[in-house]
Amino acid sequence: MGMLMDPTLGRVIERWRAGDRDAFEEVMDRYGLQLLRTARLILRDPTLAEDAIQETFLKAWQRIGSLRDEDPGPWLTRIAMNESISLYRRRHRFQALTERFGRLGGSKHEVSSEARLDLARALDQLTGEQRAAVALHYYQDLSVEETARMLKVPVDTMKSRLKTALRRLRELTGAEEAFA
Amino acid sequence: MSDDFEKNLRQHLHSEAEETREFPRRLRGRIRDGIAPRTRARMVPQLALAGALVLVAIAVLAFRNPMIINGVITSFKQFVQPSPSPTPQPFLCQDQSGGASGLTTQLTKIRPGSHAGDGYDRVVFDFNGGIPSWDLSRQESATFVRDASGQTVTLDGSAGLKLVFRDADLAGGVASDVTPRFSSIREITQLGNFERVLTYGIGLSSSQCVRVLPLSNPSRLAIDVATSGSASTTAAPTPLPTLSPSGTDLGAFSCLDHTGGANTGSAMQLTAVRVAHQPGFDRIVFEFAPPAGATAHLPAYTVSRQASAKFVKDPSGLPVTMRGSSGLRIVFHGANATSYGGSRDLTYTLPAVQEVEQLGDFEAVLSWGAGLSQASCIRTLELTNPIRLVIDVQTP
Repeated sequence: MGMLMDPTLGRVIERWRAGDRDAFEEVMDRYGLQLLRTARLILRDPTLAEDAIQETFLKAWQRIGSLRDEDPGPWLTRIAMNESISLYRRRHRFQALTERFGRLGGSKHEVSSEARLDLARALDQLTGEQRAAVALHYYQDLSVEETARMLKVPVDTMKSRLKTALRRLRELTGAEEAFA
Repeated sequence: MSDDFEKNLRQHLHSEAEETREFPRRLRGRIRDGIAPRTRARMVPQLALAGALVLVAIAVLAFRNPMIINGVITSFKQFVQPSPSPTPQPFLCQDQSGGASGLTTQLTKIRPGSHAGDGYDRVVFDFNGGIPSWDLSRQESATFVRDASGQTVTLDGSAGLKLVFRDADLAGGVASDVTPRFSSIREITQLGNFERVLTYGIGLSSSQCVRVLPLSNPSRLAIDVATSGSASTTAAPTPLPTLSPSGTDLGAFSCLDHTGGANTGSAMQLTAVRVAHQPGFDRIVFEFAPPAGATAHLPAYTVSRQASAKFVKDPSGLPVTMRGSSGLRIVFHGANATSYGGSRDLTYTLPAVQEVEQLGDFEAVLSWGAGLSQASCIRTLELTNPIRLVIDVQTP
C-alpha cells in the first residue's frame, strides 16, 4: 500500500497531472537530490547517474497517470532503480556475463591480504543489483521487505542478495576475519 | 543484527552520497528540455488530421471549381520558397545568442553581401539541418585566438565579431577565409572546427551594431552589420563593455580573449580554484603546482569570452548550461586536475561570476567554464609563488 501524501504535496501532484511543469519541477526539487545520490551509489559514475535520473524524471513526466494517490517518493525510487540497474547492465554486459558464469561454476573468488580494498573500491566490485540492494537498505534505510518490493524481487531473494553482498564486502575489505 | 561493519558501511554510504551536494542545474535543464517536446509530439496526430482535412477540402473545391487550384499552388509556392527578406528589426549593440542544440546540421555555405544602400552589410551562414546553437560576441579589435592552437590571427579591420556554432559540422567546400572588403564587413575567417564546435571571426572596419536574423527554407543565419553613419540603425552604437580607467597597477580590463603561459615541460597540476568579489571586479584564481622534480611554470592558457553560459564538455561533447547569461571558457594546455581535491562545480551569487565548473581534463588539456551574469571585460594576471592565473571579471 502506498504512503499517504500530505495535502500540500497532493495539490502539487494534482497540478502535475494537469500538465503543470512548475509543479513537476517542485517534485524534482523535493526528490531529485536523494534519487541522484542513490543512483550514484549504484552506478559509481556521476555522469551515468545523471543520465539515469534524467530518464527517471522524463518517464515520470510521461507516466504520471500510473501514480496512484500516494507519496510519489517510492514510485520515483522504483523508476530510478529500474533505470540505474538497466543502465548498469547495458554498460557492464560483458562484466555481468562473466560474473554469472563465475557464480554458476560455484568458484569463490579468493582475496589475498595484499588485494584488500577500502570500502569504496570494494563497493565498485559488487554487481549493480547488489549495490542497489545495499544502497536502499543501508543508505535509504529501507527494511528488507521494502527493499525487496522496490526492486521487485521476493523477500527471501533480497535477504540472500544482501547477505551475499555483505559477505563479499567483508571479504574484499578484509573485515571477514575480524568478525569470523 | 547490525554489527560494526554494517554501521561502517552505512556511514560510508552516507558520506559518499553527500559528496553530491546539490541537484545540478544542468541536469534540471536537460530534464526541462526533455519534457518540452511532449506537447508538440502529442499534437502530431491532430496536426496530421487537420492537414488531411485541408487536403480533402481542397480536392473537393478543385473538383467543383478547377480555378481554385491555381490559388492553392500560388500559396504553396509562397510557403516553400525561401522566406522573404527579413522584416526590419533593430540593430543591437550587444552580444547575442540563439539557435537550437542537439541538431544534426552542417554549415554548407558562407555568403557575404553588401546592402550599402540599406545601411548594412550582410553575411549569411547556410545550414542543411536547422540553425544550431550560436553565440555572437562583439570585440574591440580584429584580432582573434584560434581554437585549439591558441594562435592569434588578425583580420582586416579594427573591430570584430566572434561567432560560435555548437553541435554543427562543416560541409566540404566551405571557404575558410572570405574577404569581401565591404564598407563594414571586411573579412570572415574560420577560427576553429573541433568537437562539432565551429568558430568564425568577422573583421569589421569599425565597431558597429548588429542584427541577427535566423531564417528558414533553407535554414540560414544572417548577420547584418550596420555601416558607418547608417541611418537605418534604430539604436546608436553603444560602446562595448567599459574598460576600467587606467591608474591601477593591475592593468586595464579588456574585452578581448586573453592568452599566455607556456606549454613546456611536465604538465602542471591544478591545486586550487578560488573565486571572490573585490571592489570593481570578481576574481577567479587557478593555482598550480609542478609534479615532483619538475619546474614550475604557468601552463599555456586561453580565456575566451562568449555570449551565453552554454558550454560543451571536453571530450564528451555533452552540453552544460551554467548559471548566468554570458560566459568565459578557460583552457590550459599542459595541465591536469588529477590531484585536485576541490569542488569541480562552484556556484556563487557575485555581481559577475555565477558559476565556475570544470569542463574537461583530457590529454593534458584542462578546461573550465565560468557563467557570468552579463558580458564583461576581463583582466588576467600571471602570478608566481605559488603559480597562479588570476582572471578579474569586471563587475557592473
